[in-house]
Amino acid sequence: MLRIEHYSKTYPGGKKAVDDLTLHVRPGEIYGFIGHNGAGKTTTLRAVAGVMDFTEGTITIDGHDVKKDPVGAKRVTAFLPDNPDLYEFMKGIDYLNFIADLYDIPAEQRTKDIAKYGDAFELTGNLGSPIGSYSHGMRQKLALISAFIRRPRLLILDEPFVGLDPSASHIMKGYLADLCRGGSAVFFSTHVLEVAEKLCHQIAIIKDGRLVKCGPTDELVGDSSLEDVFLELEGDK
Amino acid sequence: MKKFFALLKVSVKSMLLSSTNSQGGSRKRAATGVGAMVLIAFLGLYMSGFYSSMLMHALAPVHMEVLVFIFMGMGALVGGLLFTAFAVKGVVFGGKDNDLLLSMPVSSTMLMASRVSAIYLENLLFALFVLAPAGAVCTFMTQSGVGHSVLFWVRLAVAVFTLPLLDTALSVLMGALVAFLSARVTRGVLGQNIVMAVYMAAVFWFAFNVNGMIEGLAANAAGVKESLSWAAPMLWMADGIMGDWGLLLAFAACCIVPFALVVFGLGRVYRQAVTAFAARSARNDYKLSAQSASGQKKALLAKEAKRFFGTPMYFWNAGIGLIMLVAMGAAALVMQNDLREFIGLLGGALPVMPMAALAMGFCLCTSAVAAPSISLEGKYLWILREAPVDERSLLWIKTGFELLLSLPCTVIGGVCLIIALQLTAPEGALLIFSMALFAGCHAAFGMLMGLTFPKLDAVNETVVVKQSLAVMLDMFVPMGVLGLCALLYWLGGRMAPALALALPLALLAVFTGVCVLILVKKGPAMLKAL
Repeated sequence: MLRIEHYSKTYPGGKKAVDDLTLHVRPGEIYGFIGHNGAGKTTTLRAVAGVMDFTEGTITIDGHDVKKDPVGAKRVTAFLPDNPDLYEFMKGIDYLNFIADLYDIPAEQRTKDIAKYGDAFELTGNLGSPIGSYSHGMRQKLALISAFIRRPRLLILDEPFVGLDPSASHIMKGYLADLCRGGSAVFFSTHVLEVAEKLCHQIAIIKDGRLVKCGPTDELVGDSSLEDVFLELEGDK
Repeated sequence: MKKFFALLKVSVKSMLLSSTNSQGGSRKRAATGVGAMVLIAFLGLYMSGFYSSMLMHALAPVHMEVLVFIFMGMGALVGGLLFTAFAVKGVVFGGKDNDLLLSMPVSSTMLMASRVSAIYLENLLFALFVLAPAGAVCTFMTQSGVGHSVLFWVRLAVAVFTLPLLDTALSVLMGALVAFLSARVTRGVLGQNIVMAVYMAAVFWFAFNVNGMIEGLAANAAGVKESLSWAAPMLWMADGIMGDWGLLLAFAACCIVPFALVVFGLGRVYRQAVTAFAARSARNDYKLSAQSASGQKKALLAKEAKRFFGTPMYFWNAGIGLIMLVAMGAAALVMQNDLREFIGLLGGALPVMPMAALAMGFCLCTSAVAAPSISLEGKYLWILREAPVDERSLLWIKTGFELLLSLPCTVIGGVCLIIALQLTAPEGALLIFSMALFAGCHAAFGMLMGLTFPKLDAVNETVVVKQSLAVMLDMFVPMGVLGLCALLYWLGGRMAPALALALPLALLAVFTGVCVLILVKKGPAMLKAL
């Protein structure tokens, strides 16, 4: 589903944020991407989502090259940044319809999906209010709903659990699993190692822009915990 | 005091950086900031100098120069109020760094004072641009010689420094009211639009009647001064500038006391005010019904329209030229007999169609809709970047939105002028065609300026719409093109009548072509690089 081959990103001034990263996410997989602050996680996710340009390597999503066919790649992708800023001059329902229009989602399907996810995240009643009046958690939920109604082949999430209440986190994990059962894939970054350990089929650990370890969660963790493995690889233990 | 100056430095720096672009090195940023300030200063000084000399020309012979300072003082007060009242909502009560600064170990009064002082500095600049030319005019155009004394300039300086205190106090109170209404009233945007419409109507009324008023003033200057007793502080200021130190001190007290009351009064409840104005609670009674679908382009255009009509600051600043264009056409129709009589009196001294084109072009210049649209995306740019829409389409939709607004207004205003001025069919067609071309050139140029001088990190839309370099250039460069067209018309007319129209049209076509070509070739890459 997602193929990142020898991807590197150098910022103006010469700082190499990510260096020669290669990893593959297969359909039906939840892939966790962990690393310390500034390791290059967000830079990688933004490049995969087509939000940010990159210097070297190739990224393909469901066969679409992010550089050569960006619109095709974006059509099958949904991206949720760590702190989603949404149009404050719009009402929640207007934003969802705006996104649905950009992705050519038929009226009947969007009505059904907005009702499904809106009710699940307990946001339907607030959809008539301006986004400017939403709390951080409500904005996070709205952004999540806007991602789910696209029925993406690849869902990219940057720190999705930040700002969500335990109930919404639980519901989101359920929908992520549903999405993968339908043949899609999820690629997300997190600092919550317990969640990553329980939720992910595969995990990649990145340090200073370089991939230091990746593989199936069971094999990677072995008899210890993900926290122990992470701290050991980071050199803190 | 050290803490106060540290806070003031942050507020002033953010205000000064507001007109620079968020890309490029410090030299480029400084240069663009200085350029923007020079443009504002030039415009302020020119307009103030023009009206001051017009007033002084009428009033100096009857020894009522004092009225010039009354009117220019009022102009500075009202103008400053318009400039800053809506900015106060964002700068003083809605700053994005409010949470951070309120958590610091500084008193809320000090924080409030630092924010208000930044507003004061903006008003001070405006007062300087308005009153200094009035002083210069007074120096050169009066026979009494009052302006030749150093003390006259000292008194003028006292007025320049104290008047903005009153302006700032009123701005903060009005801004607090706007912030309160925005937070509490369901139709806050409508309320703000109504307030702005009333203000603009007053400005238009004043502008249309200023000549008649000045003629009347000269005939009954003393009576006019007496009738202005309701604006006593302005009278004291004017009499003070002209030599009465006692009245000048009374005026200074009238400015300092309200300012101090506002700073210390609102400062004591600043934390509560910021909390109350920010607390907009979302309703939870929405019932989901069947939704309808539309295409990508329609959705993007609707989004631009929602932002334009739903943001009073954007609508009134970018849309005022188009409102003026239609209002000018309507006024020409209503007063067509007077207009024709006036043209008849000129006896062909001025070419009617090109003058109409210049007036329409000027209105179009002041409608910077596309120029700030990239900067207004700001923190929301990720939404468009993530969407399956290519950069070229995004640019054409933003440019097209300005044309969707400006072309109908151009046609309506143009047709009204054609009827009112009794232009022939070929002249009328040429007027509409040339102005439609100019509207296209303005939209494309504005888009290019928006891409070249983006301000993606602006703290609020006021900064982008009113103070950004992209908007300034989008207004003044096309005005320069209009000036060049006028020059070419004059030069062409001296060579051959056909050239008089052909040369300006050719210039417009070339300028539009170049802008569109750059936008097509470089625009998508520029947007991608932001």
